[in-house]
Amino acid sequence: MEMNELIEKINEVLAEEFEIEVEDITPEANIKETLQLDSLSLVDMVALIESEFGVKIQSSELINIQTFAALYDFVSKNQK
Amino acid sequence: MNQPILTGEGLYKLIPQRPPIVMVDTFYEADAESATTGLTILTDNIFCLDGYLQEPGLIEHVAQSAAAFAGYAPYTRGEAPKLGFIGEVKKFKISRLPRVGEHLRTSLKVLGEAAGVTLIAAETRVDDECVATCQMKIFIKE
Repeated sequence: MEMNELIEKINEVLAEEFEIEVEDITPEANIKETLQLDSLSLVDMVALIESEFGVKIQSSELINIQTFAALYDFVSKNQK
Repeated sequence: MNQPILTGEGLYKLIPQRPPIVMVDTFYEADAESATTGLTILTDNIFCLDGYLQEPGLIEHVAQSAAAFAGYAPYTRGEAPKLGFIGEVKKFKISRLPRVGEHLRTSLKVLGEAAGVTLIAAETRVDDECVATCQMKIFIKE
């Protein structure tokens, strides 16, 4: 999958799951703030990324994935 | 089919509940990402009404199945089960209420883990018929 296509798909599934507008997602935006994630709903994003893109995010890796740009980069590098 | 790992009172090694509120009687199998539990619905089950297991009983069965799953890894290491909390139950769908005498078999699968919270998908079957599905978030106190 091309990077632009991947970004579009990630934004699409996140916007649908967390009921926000796709336009609210920008590469520099903070994921937790934009998706309004708390300690209970963070796992929803992790499960969604794994089910949609086959990429498992370990808890230890989450600390480095604060922005959507970091998420795009992580998924792109770890997709099989 | 392999023999269950634990049955009856053996389940007490994995869950804190005791009669009359024990809602799992068989722990069939488990690995790091999945597990299978079971329960035969007896006539004296406190969650039954007019010969049917009611919705709270099904939810309790899945919750205790998840607790048994969470307790299994510490059990294999010779440790006591850790205290777990259900953070959220969502997407709970019941196709029909199981009858007294039927055996529930529940498959659990880990969908994701983050910040100490585990998201589990559960599917409960009677023979080949799916009677309930749900997702549950569990927080284990370390």
